[in-house]
Amino acid sequence: MALRSAQGDGPTSSRWDGGSEKADFNTKKKKKVAEIYQALNSEPTDVAALRRMAISEGGLLNDDIRRKVWPKLLNINTNDPPPISGKNLRQLSKDYQQVLLDVRRSLRRFPPGMPDEQREGLQEELIDIILLILERNPQLHYYQGYHDIVVTFLLVVGERLATSLVEKLSTHHLRDFMDPTMDNTKHILNYLMPIIDQVNPELHDFMQSAEVGTIFALSWLITWFGHVLSDFRHVVRLYDFFLACHPLMPIYFAAVIVLYREQEVLECDCDMASVHHLLSQIPQDLPYETLISRAGDLFVQFPPSELAREAAAQQQAERTAASTFKDFELASAQQRPDMVLRQRFQGLLRSEDRTKDVLTKPRTNRFVKLAVMGLTVALGAAALAVVKSALEWAPKFQLQLFP
Amino acid sequence: MASEMESSLEASFMSSGAVSGASGFLPPARSRIFKIIVIGDSNVGKTCLTYRFCAGRFPDRTEATIGVDFRERAVEIDGERIKIQLWDTAGQERFRKSMVQHYYRNVHAVVFVYDMTNMASFHSLPSWIEECKQHLLANDIPRILVGNKCDLRSAIQVPTDLAQKFADTHSMPLFETSAKNPNDNDHVEAIFMTLAHKLKSHKPLMLSQPPDNGIILKPEPKPAMTCWC
Repeated sequence: MALRSAQGDGPTSSRWDGGSEKADFNTKKKKKVAEIYQALNSEPTDVAALRRMAISEGGLLNDDIRRKVWPKLLNINTNDPPPISGKNLRQLSKDYQQVLLDVRRSLRRFPPGMPDEQREGLQEELIDIILLILERNPQLHYYQGYHDIVVTFLLVVGERLATSLVEKLSTHHLRDFMDPTMDNTKHILNYLMPIIDQVNPELHDFMQSAEVGTIFALSWLITWFGHVLSDFRHVVRLYDFFLACHPLMPIYFAAVIVLYREQEVLECDCDMASVHHLLSQIPQDLPYETLISRAGDLFVQFPPSELAREAAAQQQAERTAASTFKDFELASAQQRPDMVLRQRFQGLLRSEDRTKDVLTKPRTNRFVKLAVMGLTVALGAAALAVVKSALEWAPKFQLQLFP
Repeated sequence: MASEMESSLEASFMSSGAVSGASGFLPPARSRIFKIIVIGDSNVGKTCLTYRFCAGRFPDRTEATIGVDFRERAVEIDGERIKIQLWDTAGQERFRKSMVQHYYRNVHAVVFVYDMTNMASFHSLPSWIEECKQHLLANDIPRILVGNKCDLRSAIQVPTDLAQKFADTHSMPLFETSAKNPNDNDHVEAIFMTLAHKLKSHKPLMLSQPPDNGIILKPEPKPAMTCWC
């Protein structure tokens, strides 16, 4: 209820969502484009600023900018040769059949007017990218829905760059989804109800009595909403946001959607089928900018470290905890610190002065904070598995910046 | 797709003219509910079968199901309004291990699906049956076996007698059908309606409890012997 009532007092909610003040919109957009290019062209690249741009209203605005900024957010050097494999992966890969089935059925992911021939070519590329990443990273396991993520990158940045970006993403943000089992994915889903509980206990209790579970949000989480949103512009806007933030941000965004639909949920019959059915049908006209901003607020207000205990308790309630914590350790052991990212950590500290004047503005404060938190992940926590980091992730760095 | 695939609930209520027994109105609050879970390998046609039954037609485009989808249709059986809930599950193995189990709760019937043009999907059935046993407390819950895609006659890999033998071993009736071929529309309909009749006649009042008399669904009209294609 808090979220609903707060909706009215956000003057920003419609500005980028097709608001009436066209001139104002264009002016702001131009200004933002200029700021993004300034951050791109500064030496070294001002990644912290790019993160703020990706999070703040409108995100990265268009695909030309995304092609330049997404690699920066993932610390990919676009001059490096793309990964390749000389092997015939379609013959060798144990996942080929499943990938083929899923990609063939993913027609809806491609722009409606695209000629069949072009789409089929892209589908072939999609299969190649997935098989290549799986071959290069034997610790990663394919899941249905992974193809929904890869296709988004393919459509925005093309095959060559998509391979590099998705490979990085798969070993970081998506790492937990790609375990041999989905136990860690389930654990991340366990953050959903505690977040809802913090904001709206009544809604939380209703959903608990309905025993709706959290599977309605599974495809949202593991495809970054690519599977459920039909407008590609909304998908890439969310990808801007998620790429700039902590890997658990998609679950905060999922919670925000549920909270936004509070009235509908409470008016629904209190049983698993009704609530699951209602929630799994995601409305296509969500006020994305408002919800993104709220998800960011919630993340700052209730960071994962604070929710970890409750999320773990949910896990225990489901009697699957025993092995899971060992799995976390195992998963984190598979990750390696990234020296380049560490070097960039120094860069961020230098940029601290630059961000200070922005901090005085309350609205921007949050974006800076989020951007820094996102960067913290890229620097430190990314060296750990997400779940591990979610359990132990004390935002020390953030506390230094924001005492 | 949201409008395409997820509208099956609405479609089920709107298509009352085309689909016999479907109600044009919202059912009264106290109508009984039959909860049926549909399981089987990836790409055997679970989504298409449930969509065909609930919306009365073959979906234009389906995608991989991620997690669990839900479709529902109200029908009338012997003057009683009944809601049939179909829980359509993901086929990939990793999903069923830790994700799908929640949805086995209070299930009244299980539909196992294989693809008649894909022998591997038939060979997976024992593991699906085993999986199901582990999740369901009562092992006398009605189960049926459905071979899908029988319209692809030239590509059939699983012969009917083999499937029938398997079904007999596991005390399940076998149905061979096609969710796609319009001529088979009635048959997908008939499969679920047969199941609903079974549930109705064997379930007294408390549906959340397992039936106290062991139900074994004997294939009444030997459906598989006459492939409905």
